[in-house]
Amino acid sequence: MVSLDKLSKSIIEGASDKASALTKAALGAGIPAKEILDNGLIPGIRKAGDLFEKGEYFLPELLVAGDAMLGALELLEPVLSKSDTLPTGKFLIGTVQGDVHDIGKNIVIMMLKGNRWEVTDLGVDVPPEDFCTAVEQGEFDILGLSALLTMTMPSAAKTIDALKAAGLRDKVKVMVGGAPVTQDWAAKIGADGYGPDAPTAVKVAAALVGRC
Amino acid sequence: MQKLTGLERLLKTIKLQEPDVVPHFEALIDKKVRDAILPHASYEDFVEYMDLDGIVVFDKTSTWSYETLSQNTKRDQWGGIVRFTTEETGHPMIPAIKAEKDLDSYVPPDPDEDWRYERLEQLVKRFKGQRAIIAHVTDVFDVAKESLLGDVAYFRAMIRNPELVQRVNELVVDYHLRFIRNCIDVGADVVLVTGDWATAKAPMVSPAFTKRFISPYFQRIVECAHDRGVPCLKHTDGNIWPIFHIIIEAGADGIHPIDPTAGMDIGEAKAKFGDRVCLMGNVNCATTLCSGTVEEVRQETREVIRKAGKRGGLICMSSNSVHSGVRPEDYVAMVKAIREYGKYPLEDHFNNLVVPGSIK
Repeated sequence: MVSLDKLSKSIIEGASDKASALTKAALGAGIPAKEILDNGLIPGIRKAGDLFEKGEYFLPELLVAGDAMLGALELLEPVLSKSDTLPTGKFLIGTVQGDVHDIGKNIVIMMLKGNRWEVTDLGVDVPPEDFCTAVEQGEFDILGLSALLTMTMPSAAKTIDALKAAGLRDKVKVMVGGAPVTQDWAAKIGADGYGPDAPTAVKVAAALVGRC
Repeated sequence: MQKLTGLERLLKTIKLQEPDVVPHFEALIDKKVRDAILPHASYEDFVEYMDLDGIVVFDKTSTWSYETLSQNTKRDQWGGIVRFTTEETGHPMIPAIKAEKDLDSYVPPDPDEDWRYERLEQLVKRFKGQRAIIAHVTDVFDVAKESLLGDVAYFRAMIRNPELVQRVNELVVDYHLRFIRNCIDVGADVVLVTGDWATAKAPMVSPAFTKRFISPYFQRIVECAHDRGVPCLKHTDGNIWPIFHIIIEAGADGIHPIDPTAGMDIGEAKAKFGDRVCLMGNVNCATTLCSGTVEEVRQETREVIRKAGKRGGLICMSSNSVHSGVRPEDYVAMVKAIREYGKYPLEDHFNNLVVPGSIK
């Protein structure tokens, strides 16, 4: 009997090979893909996120947990039915202008995908007008702005101002995050939400769209 | 007290002794800000005009070689592809080492090339003995993580392939030690090591990993400087409370910027560690220096001095750098406030100074 608890544990431990092997075994044993996802993968990555929030895990541990989760998810995706994969929501994300760091953004994407969000990544050094164009043309629930440098934090404020100027501010909720960013600053620039780290960002995102 | 030179002021402060006035310098001052204050002046002329106590030779802009690939991208001397945006320093996009086997044929840059020290020589010629000439070096952790392996690969390797991390770190530290020796031989008075070890929330890696993979290499740089009688300062943004003691134990003479954006309080740092290490910072350049009024800047600067100036051991600076978003008038206001409120004895101006080392 394949244990989904063991699968969760392998993800928490960042044991990619083990997580993939257990996922294959679970599929082979006839366990529905959705059940493997809901009771194996998602609890695992959430627990890793909780440990990160508590300060017991740091970036390396969180990254390898994410690797294990994404590897297992890849095996499940071909067999998940369309109704199984209805996203939690649609998330547009990018690193603000002047900033080319992507590790924070990519960890958030990893955690969002693990929690069944559909994610569109605009990349790094994204000018305010490109964020505006994407918001205008797409149907996103949330726009996430990442700034990893103190000196590029003002670009996040400029992006929010640009959304307002383009009449798009109400079309999307805006979240900010990144190494130097704080709740006070997020509130000051008019963001709807702030994630001090990737796991919290996912929870805040779910709350913003009423799916927590 | 007799007026000190900038060099004397800085060295005395680093030794946790009271200078004549709280010293000030910046690791980086963006050209746009400098031009707004003193149009078309060279960096050296600007430093002289503002009477800054130290001048930094920033390694990436003055001592690294680059190969231009396109208008905004270059290959840095380590082989990483760097993209330049609105700031003067670029940021690595693609690392040099894609697979571990690449290391077998990897040729590191040569720190003994004479041209790397031309800028330093110019500054020594102009400022030696008057202002502190500060040789900047990007942390081993930073170069190894960003230019060589890439941050995600580096963090993964800490768990999956620690030998690879050590191998890359060794390669970088070998360059750095030779580079620092050369800088000191040319005339550098102080070494400044920059590179973040923390985010606003917490250290990037656990204290155990910090001790295993990061601080030993910083310590070797510190020891290299100390062996030649030169102090070594460390910059890292972020919440460093859990690793503050590790940085001190590695031998840092000063720590910058006690990041206010990460919720760190320089008064608390003074009370806990101010009898062991010089504190540097921490006027907020994410908020106050970008959008505060001149009066707000003055008051925040005054507060930094009140919290961290007692018995020396404070270099009052911005909380990161004077980047392009800093308002020139706010930077000038900060410098003026340092000179106004930072005159020793501080007891003449304050009756509630934080006592260094008062919390154990």
